[in-house]
Amino acid sequence: MNRLVSLVSRARVRWLATPAALLLASTAASAQEVVDRWGPTPPASTYGPRFDSLFSLITTLIGISFLIVLVMLLVPCLRDNAKKGKKAHFDHGTSLHDKRFTAVVSVVVFIVLDAWVLVRAMGDLREAYWNVPAPDTPGIFKVEVLAQQWAWNFRTPGVDGELGTPDDVITINELTVPIGRPVVFNLTSKDVIHSLFLPDMRLKRDANPGAINVAWFEAAKSGDFDILCAELCGYAHYQMHGKLHVLPEADFPAWEKDASALALAAYDANDTEARWAWDWKE
Amino acid sequence: MATAVELQREDPRARVNATLGMVFFIGSWSMAFGTLFLSYFILRQRVGIWPPPGIALPSFPMAAAATLVLLLSSVVLHRAVARVRRGAPGAAALWAAATAIGVLFAGMQAWLWYDLVLSGRTVESGAYESLFFGLTWVHAAHVACGLVALLWMQVGLLTGRYGVHRISPVSNAAMFWHFVDVVWVVLFVAFFVL
Amino acid sequence: MSGDHIHPEPTSFLRKHVFSVDHKVIAKQFMWFGLFWLLIGGIMAMLIRWQLAYPGTPMPVFGKLFFSSTGGVIDPASYNTLFTMHGTIMIFLGLTPLMIGCFGNWCIPLMIGARDMIFPLLNMLSFWTVMLGGAVAFYSLFVPLGGSEAGWTGYPTLSTTVANQGTGETLWAVAVFLIGASSIMGGINYMTTVIRLRAPGMRWTDLPLTIWGLFFTAVLNVLFLPVIGSAMILLVLDRVFGTQFYVPASIMAGGGGGDPILYQHLFWIFGHPEVYILILPAWGIVSDLLSFFARKPAFAYRVTVGAMMAVTVLSAVVYGHHMFTTGLSAMLGESFMLLTMIISVPGEILFFNWLHTIWRGSLRMDTPMLFALSVIFVFGLGGLTGLYLATISTDIYLHDTYFVVGHFHLTMAASALFATFGAIYFWFPKMFGRKLNETLGKIHFWGSLVPLTIVFCTMFVSGYAGMPRRYYDHTSADYLKPLQHLNVTTSLAAFTLGIAQLVFAFNFIKSRWWGEKASENPWEVGTLEWTLPTPVPHYNFKEIPNVVCGPHEFSNPAIPDGKDWIYQTEPLAEQPA
Repeated sequence: MNRLVSLVSRARVRWLATPAALLLASTAASAQEVVDRWGPTPPASTYGPRFDSLFSLITTLIGISFLIVLVMLLVPCLRDNAKKGKKAHFDHGTSLHDKRFTAVVSVVVFIVLDAWVLVRAMGDLREAYWNVPAPDTPGIFKVEVLAQQWAWNFRTPGVDGELGTPDDVITINELTVPIGRPVVFNLTSKDVIHSLFLPDMRLKRDANPGAINVAWFEAAKSGDFDILCAELCGYAHYQMHGKLHVLPEADFPAWEKDASALALAAYDANDTEARWAWDWKE
Repeated sequence: MATAVELQREDPRARVNATLGMVFFIGSWSMAFGTLFLSYFILRQRVGIWPPPGIALPSFPMAAAATLVLLLSSVVLHRAVARVRRGAPGAAALWAAATAIGVLFAGMQAWLWYDLVLSGRTVESGAYESLFFGLTWVHAAHVACGLVALLWMQVGLLTGRYGVHRISPVSNAAMFWHFVDVVWVVLFVAFFVL
Repeated sequence: MSGDHIHPEPTSFLRKHVFSVDHKVIAKQFMWFGLFWLLIGGIMAMLIRWQLAYPGTPMPVFGKLFFSSTGGVIDPASYNTLFTMHGTIMIFLGLTPLMIGCFGNWCIPLMIGARDMIFPLLNMLSFWTVMLGGAVAFYSLFVPLGGSEAGWTGYPTLSTTVANQGTGETLWAVAVFLIGASSIMGGINYMTTVIRLRAPGMRWTDLPLTIWGLFFTAVLNVLFLPVIGSAMILLVLDRVFGTQFYVPASIMAGGGGGDPILYQHLFWIFGHPEVYILILPAWGIVSDLLSFFARKPAFAYRVTVGAMMAVTVLSAVVYGHHMFTTGLSAMLGESFMLLTMIISVPGEILFFNWLHTIWRGSLRMDTPMLFALSVIFVFGLGGLTGLYLATISTDIYLHDTYFVVGHFHLTMAASALFATFGAIYFWFPKMFGRKLNETLGKIHFWGSLVPLTIVFCTMFVSGYAGMPRRYYDHTSADYLKPLQHLNVTTSLAAFTLGIAQLVFAFNFIKSRWWGEKASENPWEVGTLEWTLPTPVPHYNFKEIPNVVCGPHEFSNPAIPDGKDWIYQTEPLAEQPA
């Protein structure tokens, strides 16, 4: 680091300071603009803001790191050009000072870049992403997802709150969930690997054939959101999307009642194809 | 290596070179078989009860006999190489014996497959059959390569192309055969003992 | 150490230029082979970018050529084949042959003072195996039902007969197997050669860093290519013989059977080291070039070697970070996250060693140096953005988006490619006796670096916005419609990048036959290959050299005659304190 300090204090590179400051300011400003204009939509799940916040932290950390690299790269390029008759400084970099520098920078990098982010990430995983509510938690909304080429089959419990019963609401490419209740998924696939991607909820989980994956989120905003497939699944992979409808608390019971009644009316005990529910996996 | 005059003994540096290359090759191939065994254990764990109940299994006595036969061929081969190294007579005959025992093993392997197919189990029947046939096929391909190498060396030993003056091809072929042998022992343990 | 094994100089055309066992000829064969496939893979990239920027619009020129049945429009199946083969070709048939096949073969014997590879016949076999693999891959495009459509990762069950009945996918697996076999042969040869054939006096610490990079790559090749070989054997068995390695029984039917996740484990046990297989030679070459053109010793040589060794070891234990959304257990996931982050430490050490190497140097801004410097830039961008993807909670969102595409292109594609370009510009005079044109080289450099940065940084933005990769048409989903203009930006930059490569192709062809004649040591560098006359004679070294000095003694005050460099065979006037 003292190399850097000595560099900044040098009079002959002071002309770098103003453009660098300008560049930094405009980068920061344009980064914000990029996020606002082209970044992801604002998080719509309770844990969504965790992603945005950790993303910003990493951006700041690696932004500073990259700036250091850039300065240390550009300064010799501009200053130490052979055309200017510069003589190289003979140095194998084996002195104690150099070894100490390497050790200190390694420790700093590991603590600042890695350990910091690691601790934050572990917190997010344990408190949010991997903290899947147990099946007997009151108020959770269970969804069984059966992916296929190229559609999403959703099974929600209906008014009786039990999966695998005649009043289960089965929908294709449309999923309606209530706001403010944890939505827990059991995912599998009929044919190839798919991946349930809810960009607004900051959630993605693979649907593997022959296995059940678990994921969850809790919607913090009502509205209609996109469901995408994020794992290559063949010819129409790009068209395998659906809609997630998050209903306000007041509207959901009425919707669920209607949907359940419709499902019961359409129930055919002989249609074995339609009875694809499985034992819930925690 | 290709010096004009035939040396009494092989240049030790050339021998080390060849042996080192072979060691790396076998290390590499161990990873290939290691991958197959990893697949075996992952699928086995997934199936749960192993072997799956109610299916015909390959014959244990035949597999055990095949293991002993293959081990015997390795022992004979080892002695043959020792003779080549000493320049002692009878190396070619011992080598031929080892090769013949190797061919016998290949026959027993074929019998194991035939027996299983006769009882209605084919490679498509399930995870167990997939693993048994798949892994033994890959192994058998190496047995075949090994036998070709052994026969090649046999011809070389008889014509005098290989011998105490040029031993590294011979010892490398033997090393490969021992490797094939070790892989079979692991296969045997995985399918018939564990 | 022996380096005296000699095979007689061939006289027939076939033995001299086609089935040659001379490492220099094989290196050039690998070079032409790799450049050919780089061109094919590059054209595929252009087709992909056209479809993404202007979905469903007939493509000019190429559309009429390749997609005449649809009036020049790329259909979704062909699109899937395009990105699958783009990945496969660039990694296995473009970069690997160029970097490891060509420069491995060229540099190792010449830089360690040997007369040839230790197993010349195996070397020839390695080239002809990859040739066969390339032919199979190429043929797979023209079979009924078309080439592979399962992505270069070939995940089952999409790559099994569940979803794809064609022979194209099977041939793809066979091609990958053959190419892997070729790399293993090369790896065994390189390792044994470096261990056994170093010139007398050449200690391990006298090896140029290029050789170190190639050596570690050879180790990874020998250890991990067999893994993908076995995985491909199982895939072929599944496809051809109906086995159940990767095809599971449905959950509703009680589960059991094969396991598609098994393939993901096997693939990434190989796949993550493969990233380092491509980048380690690049690191070695860059470390050398920076020292050569900064006229300064490589900073902390031993630390650089140690860092590369640490990365080699770590590369084997981090593969799980490719599978964070697959459903790994929490414990496995967290372990892989930690291990992945640890890689940043040797990575950072390499960066500071490079930056210290050029610090207070006397930089000669020739084209090889420009490419070497640009590797610091693009690998910095790509490496640092890896932190988002190593972190599980951010990777959940970013996985399989364009963010990942930008990241891995910057690290393993752009860095490896730029290092390869640097190497081509650097060793061209020794290979062909002529220099590549410097002006065209600089046009090529800036024409590559600027658009390339725009291409992949725009991908970061679109990936961050949530754009999934491997989509035929991003305007199909409401969520992605507002992002389409990013695709147009990326594509326009990509086309510029593509056009810049034509400058290189022109320069390469022109300079190869009509370029300015080069002196025997145009860069004033002291490693052993520059002690040789150009063209390098069949046996390389008339007498095996005796190495008395390290590869990077630039500007050492103990160099006699007022030069700032010294051959590795020349003694320093006095050992510096």
